[in-house]
Amino acid sequence: MAKVTREMVERSGINVDQLVELLVKNAAAELTTYYYYTILRFNLIGLEGEGIKEIAETARIEDRNHFEALVPRIYELDGKLPRNMNDFHDISACPPAYLPADPADVQAILKVLVEAERCAVRGYTQICNMTAGKDHRTYDLAQAILNEEIEHESWFSEFLGEGPSGHFLRRGETSPFVSKFLK
Amino acid sequence: MKKFTKAELGKYNGKNGMPIFVAYQGKVYDVSSSFLWKKGKHQVLHKAGLDLTENLKVAPHGAEMLEKFPVVGILEHSCGNCS
Repeated sequence: MAKVTREMVERSGINVDQLVELLVKNAAAELTTYYYYTILRFNLIGLEGEGIKEIAETARIEDRNHFEALVPRIYELDGKLPRNMNDFHDISACPPAYLPADPADVQAILKVLVEAERCAVRGYTQICNMTAGKDHRTYDLAQAILNEEIEHESWFSEFLGEGPSGHFLRRGETSPFVSKFLK
Repeated sequence: MKKFTKAELGKYNGKNGMPIFVAYQGKVYDVSSSFLWKKGKHQVLHKAGLDLTENLKVAPHGAEMLEKFPVVGILEHSCGNCS
């Protein structure tokens, strides 16, 4: 725990226990998403699935990176992860991204993917709103993650025919925004 | 449609096996089936058994998130459509 770090956030007026709980819930969402996206990605088969597989894999790895980036901040603020991983799963800030009933339905998989990303966009928007101008480090982290979640949402939204994403697939390394927290 | 007072709504907070209800613009929604309302709390900040009309104004989502849940009553003396 970083004692003065936590104190500064408290003195800014933020309820640090609530913030830490939110960070833990969102870390749970990231790690469970990494797991569920593994299953989804394996089921993106055939001609239609192949075109989406790479981008689903990028989102999967970046969501795992988000988990890795969040955990140090949780501990800096005197928080911790649950001892039991089942409990960790169940407190996720977002519903499980289960494989659809018909695993061959690529459109259904895309809908699961886009809804998972939309939940994440809402979650990190909330954390940014809470911390802006107050907890500079958490804000920086949440904003970095939010940038990547927005791109994830836009990719899947584009594949669903909802309009251009405005983004290319990653060229080179993953997590262009979050990678500085992973060093 | 069943009418709820604020006190009655307050009982449906997800504790001790109670269903999880929230109110918005005069309608009472049953969100018991929602993963995000487990144990009567939503995203750390919001509790069930309350009128969340004002809270929704600053939430990172709109009322469309409630529309998939059944309406189980109306809230007496609610904020309703007040601005």
